[in-house]
Amino acid sequence: MALEQPILCKRIPTPPWGDINDRKTVTFDEYVCTGGYEALKKAKDITQADLVEQIKKSQLRGRGGAGFSAGLKWSFLPPPDGEPRYLAVNADESEPGTFKDRLIVDFDPHMMLEGIAICCHACNLDTAYIYIRGEYHRQAKVLEQAIAEAYANNIFGQKSILGQVNGRVLNCYVHRGAGAYICGEETGLLESLEGKRGWPRIKPPFPAVSGLFGRPTVINNVETLAMLPFIVERGDAWFRSIGRASTLGENVPGSFGPKLFGVSGHVNRPGVYEEELGIAMGELIDKYAGGMRNGKKFKSAIPGGVAMGFLGPDEYQADLDFDIGRKHNVLGLGTAGVIVMDEDTDIVAMTRNIVRFFARESCGQCTPCREGSGWAYQMLCRIEQGEGTFNDLDILDEVARSMGAMPGTTICGLADGTNWAVKTAIEKFRPEFESRCKSSLVQVNVSVGGSATV
Amino acid sequence: MAWIVKPSAQQQMERRDQPYLTDALKTEIEKTYIPRYATRRAALLPTLHAIQHEHNWIPYQAMEEAAEFLGLTAAEVVDTASFYEEFHLHPKGRHLIQICQSISCELCGHESILEKLIDKLGIEPGETTADGKFTLETIECLGSCGTAPAVMVQENLRENVTWEKLETYLDSLE
Ligand SMILES: Cc1cc2nc3c(=O)[nH]c(=O)nc-3n(C[C@H](O)[C@H](O)[C@H](O)COP(=O)(O)O)c2cc1C
Ligand code: SF4
Ligand code: FES
Repeated sequence: MALEQPILCKRIPTPPWGDINDRKTVTFDEYVCTGGYEALKKAKDITQADLVEQIKKSQLRGRGGAGFSAGLKWSFLPPPDGEPRYLAVNADESEPGTFKDRLIVDFDPHMMLEGIAICCHACNLDTAYIYIRGEYHRQAKVLEQAIAEAYANNIFGQKSILGQVNGRVLNCYVHRGAGAYICGEETGLLESLEGKRGWPRIKPPFPAVSGLFGRPTVINNVETLAMLPFIVERGDAWFRSIGRASTLGENVPGSFGPKLFGVSGHVNRPGVYEEELGIAMGELIDKYAGGMRNGKKFKSAIPGGVAMGFLGPDEYQADLDFDIGRKHNVLGLGTAGVIVMDEDTDIVAMTRNIVRFFARESCGQCTPCREGSGWAYQMLCRIEQGEGTFNDLDILDEVARSMGAMPGTTICGLADGTNWAVKTAIEKFRPEFESRCKSSLVQVNVSVGGSATV
Repeated sequence: MAWIVKPSAQQQMERRDQPYLTDALKTEIEKTYIPRYATRRAALLPTLHAIQHEHNWIPYQAMEEAAEFLGLTAAEVVDTASFYEEFHLHPKGRHLIQICQSISCELCGHESILEKLIDKLGIEPGETTADGKFTLETIECLGSCGTAPAVMVQENLRENVTWEKLETYLDSLE
């Protein structure tokens, strides 16, 4: 299986269909000439319930990391009550190894804007905020420009072709972040939008019920929204004809549709490529990314942003779909930003790099995350320098496993990133860690989480 | 590390007569940003961005002015501003050099570039050159992992960086 035609990359020249040197930002007119905003016109005449149903049936899953069903998320919204309702577009993209949303914003922003308008119509949302990370200076300007075009051409604003939405004028704004990865977490994002520290909220209440300014709010990733025009235009059956059902059981949600894959690290042609969900990582690397750099052997990869954990040397052909977590003992597909490492890579150093990231970006609300990631970082530095002991390895593993939304010790999923990076690294590359450690001469009894007994 | 609290008991606040949040800025924010949100506080990030854009950093006095303008306490503004790494609450050099140290950039050799930067500028990350020209920072993923290593100079992203290209670029700056 392979994608025959580019879909999200329809207007963004991408190998094997196009040359990246031909990329430029698609303007409103160019977008319309190539069939753009047709789906919005079509959506306008479909009832809102039918639209939500269609997206649900397509089984589109969120492209921001968690892979939650978009249609299902929308259906949690309460019925309109006359007060404002919001869409928060997650363009905070800050997870190391992830650079796919940037491609959409840079070159085909109207694809996302059309998705935004469709989502606002389907869910009765009157105002959309695009939360874009602060470092995307150029992209924020591109978006401002595209939004201005969309207002001038009656997509948004007083004269929107959708008329009033939720009894109000449909508006769309850019909101710039300022260098905090945690604002990509959906409730951290809402806090930041409200002008506060980006501290994730305890859920419930879920944003669909009480989100931005205490009102019902939908949060979706850039790529998820960019997918909408295609589903509305071509139908949910078409969407499900790409990708595949889960092989883990009938009731497990499938991996349908095309997907942007970022490939970085030790490959010949790093970049963003579009393929069906379920493509083997080896095929993505060999066929699209030009193979391993300098003909080196593959050692490890991280399937989708550093929070996902490591794949081992024998997992080169891992299928990149939402089943990957359970099949390959990683957290999941994440952002599908594949980070490739060759035989010369120092896994201890890479684990140290990842844990430093999470220690730096922890928002500090939860003790296991704030303290645990800092400790883990220091231990990893020590092991990297050959000063660690075998005992350190066990403590490191225990510290890591104790933190995260999945063990249930933290508010949000940031700490799970530290957890999975450390535990998969130790599990799959234990000899490499051990070869850096000295055996501890004196066994010191330290219990993590209890009172210090050192 | 947004949660590290800095000692502030002995801190002296520098003041000047002229406001940082000028009337022109206020008018601009009032017109463009305030109508977008349900609360005035939500315009805080745009306000801080506007101040930093104008002055290259955000002095304490400016945060007090922002507080008054948005109907907040100064503490609320400091609370928010101090959370975000991209809000600079201390003066920085005319050119802020931010080198990405995250995984894809480390895999593609950011370390040698960082070392050369430290050598050339004679400062460690977090410091500013004596002439106030450059500030050097290490930063996490810039979203250019496919074109690593990546360095941001002020708002200008440099991709596929080699030391020769970067040095030539830095030498061309005023
Ligand atoms: C620590 C953390 C950081 C996140 N960062 C992002 C991000 O930068 N962009 C994004 O789209 N989703 C991010 N997410 C996922 C969001 O919380 C949320 O699931 C997503 O935006 C929902 O959109 P989707 O359903 O369309 O994927 C992050 C989650 C966590 C826990
Ligand atoms: S898990 Fe970490 S980042 Fe998430 S809320 Fe807790 S301290 Fe903050
Ligand atoms: S890791 Fe350096 S830009 Fe992403």
